[in-house]
Amino acid sequence: MSRRYDSRTTIFSPEGRLYQVEYAMEAIGNAGSAIGILATDGVVLVGEKKVTSKLLQTSKSTEKMYKVDDHLACAVAGIMSDANILINTARVQAQRYTFAYQEPMPVEQLVQSLCDTKQGYTQFGGLRPFGVSFLFAGWDSNFGFQLYMSDPSGNYSGWKAAAIGANNQAAQSMLKQDYKEDVGREEAVQLALKVLSKTMDSTSLTADKLELAEIFLLPSGEVKYQVCSSEGLTKLLVKSGVTQPSTESA
Amino acid sequence: MKLDTSGLETFVPPSRGLNVLPSDFTASPAFDLPGCTDFDGFQKNAVQMVKPAKGTTTLAFIFKEGVIVAADSRASMGGYISSQTVKKIIEINPYMIGTMAGGAADCQFWHRNLGIKCRLHELANKRRISVTGASKLLANILYSYRGMGLSVGTMIAGWDETGPGLYYVDSEGGRLKGKRFSVGSGSPYAYAVLDSGYRFDLSIEEAAELARRAIYHATFRDGASGGVASVYYVGPDGWKKLSGDDVGELHYKYYPVVTSSVEQEMAEAPVA
Amino acid sequence: MECIFGLVGDGFALIAADSSAVHSILVHKSNEDKVLVLDSHKLLGVSGEAGDRVQFIEYIQKNVHLYQFRNGIPLNTAAAANFTRGELATALRKNPYFVNILLAGYDKGIGPSLYYIDYIATLHKIDKGAFGYGSYFSLAMMDRYFRSGMSLEEAIDLVDKCIMEIRSRLFVAPPNFVIKIVDQNGAREYAWRESISSD
Repeated sequence: MSRRYDSRTTIFSPEGRLYQVEYAMEAIGNAGSAIGILATDGVVLVGEKKVTSKLLQTSKSTEKMYKVDDHLACAVAGIMSDANILINTARVQAQRYTFAYQEPMPVEQLVQSLCDTKQGYTQFGGLRPFGVSFLFAGWDSNFGFQLYMSDPSGNYSGWKAAAIGANNQAAQSMLKQDYKEDVGREEAVQLALKVLSKTMDSTSLTADKLELAEIFLLPSGEVKYQVCSSEGLTKLLVKSGVTQPSTESA
Repeated sequence: MKLDTSGLETFVPPSRGLNVLPSDFTASPAFDLPGCTDFDGFQKNAVQMVKPAKGTTTLAFIFKEGVIVAADSRASMGGYISSQTVKKIIEINPYMIGTMAGGAADCQFWHRNLGIKCRLHELANKRRISVTGASKLLANILYSYRGMGLSVGTMIAGWDETGPGLYYVDSEGGRLKGKRFSVGSGSPYAYAVLDSGYRFDLSIEEAAELARRAIYHATFRDGASGGVASVYYVGPDGWKKLSGDDVGELHYKYYPVVTSSVEQEMAEAPVA
Repeated sequence: MECIFGLVGDGFALIAADSSAVHSILVHKSNEDKVLVLDSHKLLGVSGEAGDRVQFIEYIQKNVHLYQFRNGIPLNTAAAANFTRGELATALRKNPYFVNILLAGYDKGIGPSLYYIDYIATLHKIDKGAFGYGSYFSLAMMDRYFRSGMSLEEAIDLVDKCIMEIRSRLFVAPPNFVIKIVDQNGAREYAWRESISSD
């Protein structure tokens, strides 16, 4: 196995590839997946939690979804410790912007600033790239609801529906097939759950393996980030026909 | 015959009791402190004293043929006239000149510095710097030193690709684009003459004469201005010195001594 | 001495400023434009020390432009005002700029707005305001005759009233004024009010 061009992040291979960056993307391919769908009245993020052990004390808060600012949240796929660093810088950036301009940071600018950080780690010597992909969901006064995806190379792009993590290609192609323009949040949630249930490795989709978060506008015009409760998720799963009603509740 | 070897001997100034008091020999040389109670105040005043060219009259204006720049040549230190032959119009390059008011050293130094920067710009860009650019360069430098005691009041006049250019720049960081400026203690007098006689379509000769008169009248009323009234013209082919007239001579030219007619002549009384 | 004032009308905001560049008793220039068109829909009227004035507004203008280039969207008026205030505040305890600012702008969906920023970095959103010696007269004049939703004609009439009062009651009154407006069609020069020629 070659150790000439893939041991350092800063070096191109003769074929013009950056192996370290590709390896980072590879790492994400094994992580729990996440799906984001842009709806007319909001953005939906769904994530798959990899439950590693029954003994593990599951976190009360979300594991894959993070609120960055009042108007912006993200879903993570990849190495969580890397993600925590990036989310922290994203939160600082968002607050700095608000400090300077007294208004929420435009979504794309925040994504861009985070991707600049990611890019730096693919170029400057001795550092490993961040093994994280993000889905950013947010709202700003310029472009309304937005969904962005970013990868370890520092690339980012805006999407109507996007998937990251394990089986993201399968999920992406399903989304491409089933996505309809001008869908509401409810329909978007249904689609996301359907796609996730089909692309996940585990056979049955249950609420404890899932996370669902939404960003939408309250009637007051305020941006709301809402995480769906476990009970709510169970109901949604039954409603979308992904799982049968569990025996206990029957 | 005896050789005169006195020229080979080292000259030793007569030292006051150096040999008498050998203990003083090791004392390092030092200036006496000024005999005053307020040393800081003294220093401040002293700094003011070494800033000649404060009392000055300089002027420049744009007209249809280009720019006329004129100045007096007196340098004063308080009430003392330290020079009557100061060059207050400084040639930056063949197409640009600056005037000097305020600290002579500050003006000279920063104009030379500007000259260097303009030449470097020329070498880097293969074209002469614009008057706008040059004046901004100077203004930015002066602004970066603001509050640190620089004293500069200058006009940058020149000819560039856009035609004639004239800017007023000072050490407070101010920079004004304009058609007509005058700087220095004599400037109010110069302005009065300049404003009343100015037209855009003056000929070069008329414009030079207007500038000369304005300087002359300023030197007449302002004690800190005087000497020679120099007049420069900047046209498409660069600057040219048109004249330098002693304002004393100008006075006699403008106001020749009229021999008053004798009303009554003493005559021999006719012998009765 | 310096006079600068502005107001918000129906669908527009305007800033009027004197145009004198003064050094002690000397007027070096009487057509110095002290109202900068910051970007397509913003006006920045500035009074204060000559050097600081130019350095600071150019710094702000370049940063607002940089933001636009970087992000493809313009800074709205409120954000620009807060940014300006922030820069003034950070400079205040280091190398303060002695500048007083009126920032007028027009934003889609928000409409016209006017911000007051003084040299100690106070920020207020206002619909009429003034700086300088002329402010004593123009403020009272605007307090008396301003009402929200004035038409352009009414507003210009009020501006002229202010200018006339300054010219007639202020001992050191500047002769010439410039009026600029900003509305949905952009920021632009509206008129000059000159009582002496400024060739």
